[in-house]
Amino acid sequence: MTRAPTKSTDSAVRRTNSGVGRVLVAVYAIFALAATARASVQLLTRFDEAPVAYLLSALAGLIYIVATITLARGTRASRRVALVAIIIELVGVVSIGTLSVVDPAAFPRATVWSIYGIGYGFVPLVLPILGLVWLWHTRAH
Amino acid sequence: MIDALAYVVVALAGVATIWGVVTAVANKPPGKAQLLFAAGVEVVTVAQSIIAAAKLAAGFRPAELATTIGYLIGIVILIPIAWLWANAERNRFSGIVLAVAALAVLAMTLRLLVLWTPAS
Repeated sequence: MTRAPTKSTDSAVRRTNSGVGRVLVAVYAIFALAATARASVQLLTRFDEAPVAYLLSALAGLIYIVATITLARGTRASRRVALVAIIIELVGVVSIGTLSVVDPAAFPRATVWSIYGIGYGFVPLVLPILGLVWLWHTRAH
Repeated sequence: MIDALAYVVVALAGVATIWGVVTAVANKPPGKAQLLFAAGVEVVTVAQSIIAAAKLAAGFRPAELATTIGYLIGIVILIPIAWLWANAERNRFSGIVLAVAALAVLAMTLRLLVLWTPAS
């Protein structure tokens, strides 16, 4: 209803914040909240226990915030930023996930990305893939 | 936290989740009754957080105090934001947006029940 007036011709870039994209933004927003809140608690109350894991938690939160805002804006410039953020997110969840399996002591279930996001129903692993598929699907023709 | 109230929140949020999926499958935007129901879930969720905050103020100390406070605050902002986001573009996906928020409220309430154990 209050959608920004855009010409949705085939040559125009399709908006990432419309249709099913709104669901993606909603899920990203929840993870932005969850990861940021979790990292804040960790950093404020027990930073010295596992500084690396907690800083990675904060990075994850930041990436979710950037992805949420850029996907919600849905402009040409914002989708470029979204692409970078989501690629970092995918690399992050795969590498932290793998590290946490190989060396559990280093990541005592401390980040949203531990064991590929098992604490969040593996949504953290699926989300960047859906994000990339959505960016591909809404690309300019 | 009051266990019985938490289970009411879980049940209401569960209904809101299913309702959102049902309207999406029917390819309809959420109707007035559905939006009012989501508002009702929010009211009960806010009541739950206020009661829990009162118990914290009265001296109850859960093992993970900071996390518990974060959950009690975070849980009340989900449905209002989803409501606005769902109404800004009304179509079948609006229902899914409401369902996602309601599911998060459900999951966070279950987690709060676990968090709500006294520090030893």
